[in-house]
Amino acid sequence: MKFPDVFDVIVVGGGHAGTEAALASARAGCRTLLLSHNIETLGQMSCNPSIGGIGKGHLVKEVDALGGAMARATDEGGIQFRTLNASKGYAVRATRAQADRVLYKQAIRTMLENQPNLWLFQQAVDDLMLEQDRVSGVVTQLGLRFHSRAVVLTAGTFLAGLIHVGQSNYQAGRAGDPPALSLAHRLRELKLPVGRLKTGTPPRIDGRTIDYSILKIQPGDDPVPVFSFMGNASRHPRQLPCWITETSERTHEIIRKGLDRSPLFTGVIEGIGPRYCPSIEDKITRFADKGSHQIFLEPEGLTTHEVYPNGISTSLPFDVQLDLVRSIRGMENAHILRPGYAIEYDYFNPCGLKSSLETKAIRGLFFAGQINGTTGYEEAAAQGLLAGLNAALQVREMEAWCPRRDEAYLGVLVDDLITQGVSEPYRMFTSRAEYRLQLREDNADLRLTEIGRRLGVVDDERWTVFNKKRDAIAAEKERLKSTWVNPRIVSKDDAERVLGKNIEREYSLYDLLLRPNVNYADLMTLPGAGRPLEDQKVSEQVEIQAKYQGYIERQNAEVKSGEYNESLKLPLDMDYRDVRGLSIEVQQKLNLNKPETVGQASRISGITPAAISLLLVHLKRGFRDAKAAD
Amino acid sequence: MQKTDTIAAVATAQGQGGIGVVRISGPASAAFAAEVLGKLPEPRRATYTGFLDENREAIDQGIAIFFPAPNSFTGEDVLELQGHGGPAVLQLILQRCLNLGARLAEPGEFTRRAFLNDKLDLAQAESVADLISATTAEAARSAMRSLQGEFSEEIHALLESLVKLRMLVEAMLDFPEEEIDEADTDLCRSGLQALRENLQNTLKAAKQGSLLRNGAHIALLGRPNVGKSSLLNRLSGIEVALVSDVPGTTRDVIREAIQIRGIPLHIMDTAGLRESGDEIENMGMERTRQAAEKADLILLLVDASNGRMLEDEEIISGLPRDIPHLLVYNKADLLGKDVKRGSGIYVSAKSGEGMEELREEILRMIGWRHQEGGAFIARQRHLAALNETMSHVDRAFDALQNPELLAEELRLAQQALNSITGRFSSDDLLGEIFSHFCIGK
Repeated sequence: MKFPDVFDVIVVGGGHAGTEAALASARAGCRTLLLSHNIETLGQMSCNPSIGGIGKGHLVKEVDALGGAMARATDEGGIQFRTLNASKGYAVRATRAQADRVLYKQAIRTMLENQPNLWLFQQAVDDLMLEQDRVSGVVTQLGLRFHSRAVVLTAGTFLAGLIHVGQSNYQAGRAGDPPALSLAHRLRELKLPVGRLKTGTPPRIDGRTIDYSILKIQPGDDPVPVFSFMGNASRHPRQLPCWITETSERTHEIIRKGLDRSPLFTGVIEGIGPRYCPSIEDKITRFADKGSHQIFLEPEGLTTHEVYPNGISTSLPFDVQLDLVRSIRGMENAHILRPGYAIEYDYFNPCGLKSSLETKAIRGLFFAGQINGTTGYEEAAAQGLLAGLNAALQVREMEAWCPRRDEAYLGVLVDDLITQGVSEPYRMFTSRAEYRLQLREDNADLRLTEIGRRLGVVDDERWTVFNKKRDAIAAEKERLKSTWVNPRIVSKDDAERVLGKNIEREYSLYDLLLRPNVNYADLMTLPGAGRPLEDQKVSEQVEIQAKYQGYIERQNAEVKSGEYNESLKLPLDMDYRDVRGLSIEVQQKLNLNKPETVGQASRISGITPAAISLLLVHLKRGFRDAKAAD
Repeated sequence: MQKTDTIAAVATAQGQGGIGVVRISGPASAAFAAEVLGKLPEPRRATYTGFLDENREAIDQGIAIFFPAPNSFTGEDVLELQGHGGPAVLQLILQRCLNLGARLAEPGEFTRRAFLNDKLDLAQAESVADLISATTAEAARSAMRSLQGEFSEEIHALLESLVKLRMLVEAMLDFPEEEIDEADTDLCRSGLQALRENLQNTLKAAKQGSLLRNGAHIALLGRPNVGKSSLLNRLSGIEVALVSDVPGTTRDVIREAIQIRGIPLHIMDTAGLRESGDEIENMGMERTRQAAEKADLILLLVDASNGRMLEDEEIISGLPRDIPHLLVYNKADLLGKDVKRGSGIYVSAKSGEGMEELREEILRMIGWRHQEGGAFIARQRHLAALNETMSHVDRAFDALQNPELLAEELRLAQQALNSITGRFSSDDLLGEIFSHFCIGK
């Protein structure tokens, strides 16, 4: 049956990528349909019950700055909040929260159901409808045909998902959910570049059987951090602590004895797992000399006893899992609620994507999340938002958008994916960002909200709050620059207390703030400094901008020098064998990758500056030929 | 026209040559002219002027021509400085421009800019691509050559300590919840110190190629009247030493700077070595011995018509042992063709016979390996990269209290090194972290 209503954008999948995609598309004014095999699992946290962390928290703030849902849902569902790296610098400071699965899911569901322009429908998608090289809709399990002008595919680990526990394995999308087999089959038919990845999850524990009295407690921060720029700590639910324990030599012995039945070590699992999130059997094998490994016991929620033991992801047989859990301090009598498992799934080489996350092969078809070889809720949400937004922009016949590497972690994420491809599940780290000093959590709104407003995904409420903050920062900077203090009004004692030494001439307050050891709060105590701002978010911003001015200016110069190459477009149908002087290896790489800009091309591994020169010459010749033909 | 930085390079073929040109192209060319020449020359007019160093002392005298955009080879502001040639002097002029903020041009970059700014016609343009790939291949070859041996070892030691330090710092920043031995300030400081030490060693190694810049010292020794001054005149091509038949004409050490294949050689022509009662001459001979001890190479001149005499043997036995010496038989033109010749070089300062062979042998003995021009550029590039690495390492010391700024300086240090060692991506860095630390909750 052909569904009678036509949609602008269809989003397939209701995880973190799918929900952000659907919300963004709808916010951008497009009639959007979210298709999920099960409406009950919209916004489900399939793995650990936490959001954020280093690099990831940055992504969440960026999603929030663009009007996304993740930060707000975390504020509503978060049961422990911490700021990581608080003492190591503004740029690497990151927010992390434990979330109550139920509350989080509920918050997402509420936002989806109340979003104008957005419709939900429960059906698994089996097939894509194509007209030539353009997607025209999807077909569901029941044979329903939904037509649309763009489709965003966020299939997660569901494409040909295969779950392993010991030597038994079965097809599934995640534990308890069916895999998407027909769709996987169909995508393979389309000759998209497919690969297999692996990820894993630990056994879950019944908290009533854990002896917390002998464990180390890890409370949340006080004052409680807030995730969303629109958030407020008063909206947080009751807060809970996490607990820390560790594996023992005996645990390792149990694991070693079980390795002969490990699908990972007996070659049953083919997919590549992440190096930074290894299974416990991988850890004790690769770091055999380490006597114990930390385990974080994370509460799954306020209304459940279920506990997520972070650090013992495993696909060992269940009997080994039970023994190893019970060898860990505090869990001697633990009851396992759900076995741990590894899951292999299809992903598509992201080199086949444009920076809009549209596939180069099929127009109107966008991919976001684990299907692109990433891992993590935050990475998925960020891509989802971008794909949903770009699908909407395409429908509205507007130019696609993707932030640059110096504008957002989202830009780093997408650029890394499409120029480097993935060899393991991709996770964000701050070390991936060469412009880390400007990509901070604290300024995500200043970096992105204005753009989001222009593109139609930032609502009036957020826009008003943002403007107020931005204007206050500008005004205070201006005030500091035009307020002067001199040795006559500042006593030697005051100067030494605030500045560390006497001042010998007149300075503006801003000049003084530029000094490494001077902070805003102290500076405001100088005679003649005027009244300090009450809004700490604003004064903090003024202070950070002053402190990092030199570094940021240097990075901006670096960015500027690359601008020409970044803006120079390369045709997607270009045959690089025609470029005079390129080595065959470089020709093949470029033909495989088909970069959109010279800047992208320069970041593909093995592409030398000389190759870029040749490319520039070739382009120039092309323009001339075109001119000559006119 | 695209916004660009300012580039500089020696534009003439490397090696010997009467005139060498340093070409500068880009928006800062005029500003550089003001610094190096003390003024901006009139556009497109050859101006004879001094090229000044930081202390406003002349490096060289030569012709400067300023071509304002767009009427120049590249279509940008171009400054051409024509010096007296010889890699050493050109090198100083080029280095001056780099110090002022120019970037060393990539192979073919002037031509590329000319092309991109529509300064080449279509026929010329056809060859640009070929030129770029050819010069790049050449530069790559010479880079490979200069990255062998000791220099390469130094570079790798350096890279290793830099990557190790970055690994510690980045792991601390990206994985605060892992059980990583915290890269505390002391650890970072000692890491930085080790790094700086390596860097200094590497710079030392890199400067072994500084023969080009500083040249070698050569002492010219021999009995009186074997023709030392004549030989010097022949080597330098100008009358510098007083020539006479009276033994002992040269009473002092005459210093003369000459060039062979562009390598500066400081030749010390000395008083004839022999026992003498003449007090003035004795002083001259004392200076001669001192000069010999400071030399990189000693040329011992023997009268070929007399052969090695007892006095020659005495001089040889008195030479400093750790300094290489070369036996040169002068007045070879006086020998019959069938006379048996011993080891050493036979020349005639008078006729010029054997001089070419002598020049080659001098170069060989001071350690100059004949290389294609590219090697010189590659080495210069390395020095520039190493100096930039050093400046970031120095700044990293100031950032020890702020890990993310420390990390930034280390990133920039490595970025500078990348031009020598090749790209080291953030993913490579993560690879280092994951193989050293057990990451993953």
